[in-house]
Amino acid sequence: MIKTPKLVLPGMSRRQVLASGAAAAAAMTAPAYVRTASASTPIKIGIPTVITGGYAVLGAQVMRTCKLVKKMRDASGGVIGRPIEFLFKDTQGDPANCVRKSQELVERDDCHLIAGVVVSSEARAIMPQLENWNAFFISHGNGDGRLTADLLVDNFFRANTSAPMGARTLALYLKDAKQNDFYAIGSDYAWGHSSIGAFEEQIKKVGKNFAGKVFAPVGNKDYSTYITKILQSGAQGCYVALQGNEGRAFFSQAQQYKLTDRVQLFTEIVAQANIRALGKDSLGLVGSSRYPFTYDIPENKAFVAAFTKEYPGELPDWTDGEMFQALQVLFTAMEKADSTEAKKLVAAMEGLEVTSVKGAVLMRKCDHQGENPGFVVRVGEDSNYNEPVPEIVKIYPREMVTPDCRSTSYSN
Amino acid sequence: MRFAYGLAIAVVGACLVPLVSPNYMLTIIIEALIWGIFAMSLDLLVGYTRLYSFGHVAAYGLGAYSSALLLLHFHMPLPFAIILAVVISSLIATPIAWVCTRTHGVSFAMLTLAFAQLGYAMLYRFKEFTGGSNGLAGIPRPAGPFGIELFQHKVGYFYLVVFCLFGSYLLCRSLVNSPFGSVLAGIRENEAKTRALGYNTRAYKRAIVIASYGFGSLAGALYAPFAGFASPELFFWLISGKVLIMVIVGGAGTLIGPIIGGIFFIFLENQLAEITDLWPLIFGSVFIAFVMLAPQGIWGLVTSTLNRRRAPAGAGPDPEDVSGASA
Amino acid sequence: MNFAGFLLTQCLNALSQASILFFIASGLTLIFGIMRIVNFAHGALFMLGAYAGYTAVTVTGSFTLALVFAPLVTGLVGMAFERAFLSRLYVRGDGGAYLMVTFGLAVIMGEAIRLIWGPQPQGVPTPDMLRGVVFLLNQPFPYYRFFLIAIGAAAAIGLWQFLERTRAGLLIRAVSQNAEMVHALGTNVEYVRTGVFGLGCAMAAIGGVLAAPLVTAYLGMGSNVIIDAFVIVIIGGMGSFLGSIIGSLLVAFVQVFGAYYFPNLALAIMYLLMLLILVVRPGGLLGKEE
Repeated sequence: MIKTPKLVLPGMSRRQVLASGAAAAAAMTAPAYVRTASASTPIKIGIPTVITGGYAVLGAQVMRTCKLVKKMRDASGGVIGRPIEFLFKDTQGDPANCVRKSQELVERDDCHLIAGVVVSSEARAIMPQLENWNAFFISHGNGDGRLTADLLVDNFFRANTSAPMGARTLALYLKDAKQNDFYAIGSDYAWGHSSIGAFEEQIKKVGKNFAGKVFAPVGNKDYSTYITKILQSGAQGCYVALQGNEGRAFFSQAQQYKLTDRVQLFTEIVAQANIRALGKDSLGLVGSSRYPFTYDIPENKAFVAAFTKEYPGELPDWTDGEMFQALQVLFTAMEKADSTEAKKLVAAMEGLEVTSVKGAVLMRKCDHQGENPGFVVRVGEDSNYNEPVPEIVKIYPREMVTPDCRSTSYSN
Repeated sequence: MRFAYGLAIAVVGACLVPLVSPNYMLTIIIEALIWGIFAMSLDLLVGYTRLYSFGHVAAYGLGAYSSALLLLHFHMPLPFAIILAVVISSLIATPIAWVCTRTHGVSFAMLTLAFAQLGYAMLYRFKEFTGGSNGLAGIPRPAGPFGIELFQHKVGYFYLVVFCLFGSYLLCRSLVNSPFGSVLAGIRENEAKTRALGYNTRAYKRAIVIASYGFGSLAGALYAPFAGFASPELFFWLISGKVLIMVIVGGAGTLIGPIIGGIFFIFLENQLAEITDLWPLIFGSVFIAFVMLAPQGIWGLVTSTLNRRRAPAGAGPDPEDVSGASA
Repeated sequence: MNFAGFLLTQCLNALSQASILFFIASGLTLIFGIMRIVNFAHGALFMLGAYAGYTAVTVTGSFTLALVFAPLVTGLVGMAFERAFLSRLYVRGDGGAYLMVTFGLAVIMGEAIRLIWGPQPQGVPTPDMLRGVVFLLNQPFPYYRFFLIAIGAAAAIGLWQFLERTRAGLLIRAVSQNAEMVHALGTNVEYVRTGVFGLGCAMAAIGGVLAAPLVTAYLGMGSNVIIDAFVIVIIGGMGSFLGSIIGSLLVAFVQVFGAYYFPNLALAIMYLLMLLILVVRPGGLLGKEE
């Protein structure tokens, strides 16, 4: 009879304690090849994401990557010997909903791990609550620079490239660009401001001229007047901090005005979904990509192969790659801590380096920001694919791209 | 006396809720009750005065941001912040009421919408003050007065909301049953005639708009400290549509109906999403079904069932009937 | 760039923007004029038009066909809805009922579109014939936008003449003023209402197809369009067709020039305008106060 340790973790029923204790004991005594993921309590990971609503595309991508990851992990014995279970909730992109669903995950489903939150304002809303909930939250795609600066909380980590990092990557690239004057257009909310703010600071640092900026309201559809403004500025290059619906609208209309004949457009987020929708209109776009699936390293090739096999006809978008990386970081930390408890994960993740689909990523202790390399891509045609793809033109090492600790600025 | 019994049962029932419901459920119950208050406040306009407002979200947003700013900047005890937020919102609502009541019908509705949208735009414009698209986060719930820490915990907050709900219900009820309310009924049925009788209908309309915004802002003021943040979504025009629907689904002109409508709507929206990803289909169908099959709303269904059971046909409405003016 | 070129481009920008706004707003105002319904589902119908147009273009490759197919489909959907639900509500004369029913329709349609076409945005390429720019005073202006201006003007004039000169148009105007009288004179008012609702939906759908090459077809494109449509119809006057034309032009010009000179106030400008007009003329510019 195996003696089970009398661990009583908060929120666990006695049955769960016994079951996990038995499983832990079994896992420790059984030989490796017998350690299947079947007989233990699953690790629950809450995914409060956008299933219906304006950002449904991104939520759908989050979910499909989670399902793929579950499949892969189930086949290889789970994480710390336990199967993973994703609990998907629909927040519709509304911060209040996100708080409510996350709270339900914590209190009703006894789930203290949160990931897959799409909108930065949702992330901001739940971060102050993490301590109360004893919950751990890892970001896969929230770009607002301040999340790892003045808004940072203990139980939050960001595995992904942030908006300032994207802007910085582009600015470094543009240092040697032939364009000298840069205009900027962005979405009038947190991410847009963060992105352009960082770009403005960086582009001046590399010695270029910042010609001005304009913010379009969220949900703006007609960009004719903004295109006119860009043309008026006389700049040769324009930084575009517009994503999703606004991004597509802008690029479609910019092509109609043949803006790209006069002004080279640069963007901070390159989304495959948009490239696909824009088709030919996306060719020639240069941008900083948070995750380009064309990155040729073994880790990524394996991911892309598994992804395209599971979802024929689909290509991994930046959300897919970032979500995969975030989960990989999370699981590595779990294995290191041999626990799923929030505080233990925090300790394990600080300073953790993981080789992921983007190469070696370091989760910084000082501000919980993942140091990611910066990718500059150009959208071009590739005979291997039916749609344009992001071709990598330059990669910057993570030390150059990640900002100063707890800051959105760069001192070098 | 039926009313007193009904009220007593409701109060007791409400007090027992935290004892039987799990903690996470309490969150959504609190939010549902807050929306109940919000819907009831709109009923004053829609049900009792037949003034359709498309901009009632302004009341909610004003209340939420007022209490948020007061708590963030002055750290005053929670109940004081809420009361002050209601006062401030009512003051801001006064010029709005003044302008909107210059007209009626669809134009009135559109003016309220215009003001609500203006408020929404201003949130973005004065972002240093309102936090812009980020909103205001980390709203505290300071202790007090007299060191009461009750409201810092969810159960305590629940009782606060229940108190506000019953309190505002009783206030509204006495308002609509008073002579003031009779004038409102007159305006609702035939404004020209009421004016001919010598009443300054514009002044009455102004007053009820301010009252409606006042109670609406109470809901918002309760919400912001509960959620811990206030963001521009609280000023989004879709909310005006939702609350209008809550009033109609619940049963306009009954005060209780909209409260139930609000609670029903929130639960439906939340729980359906748990069951299926296709929840919007069911959600939309429920409303169409209500209109086609139960136009008097939930409360109308309840009272008509009760009346049918109690009295034979032709006995007339019960004078103690809580539903008041009309179903 | 010289000022003349700038001014010309901006005016044309505004006109092209007004064109799409007009298609949406005119539908809304027609429906309101004849049924006193504020059609909450109008944005969803616009979205349906865009997606239907996308399917037509993908299947047949013809944008022209999309311009016919989408309004047809959307108009039929609208008319079916009107017959099934809205027509039963006329006897009640209850504004709230319409609101709920159209709200329900909007929610259901949004979800149905997501289920049929998926959550990914769908691109509709600018028709080949309309690609390219023309240079006016050294400034580029897309052919497609000229097309928008042309088709918008044609539709505006066409519909206006239809309402003014034809018997059907006369019936529509009569019903919007006094339905009982028209009924007493022997016309089937119900059919008129169904027809107008269908027409309103079709107009919104055309707007959707025209907008698709500008913004792609995506979920949620209807929800922020509806508030723009409301504002235009309010400014122009609920139920006034001419008002919807004027309103569209006014809003487009204010937005284009306003966003250029005062980008911070882009959102606020439109609502301030609406407020101003309503205070001075509560029924809108050309509306009739009830």
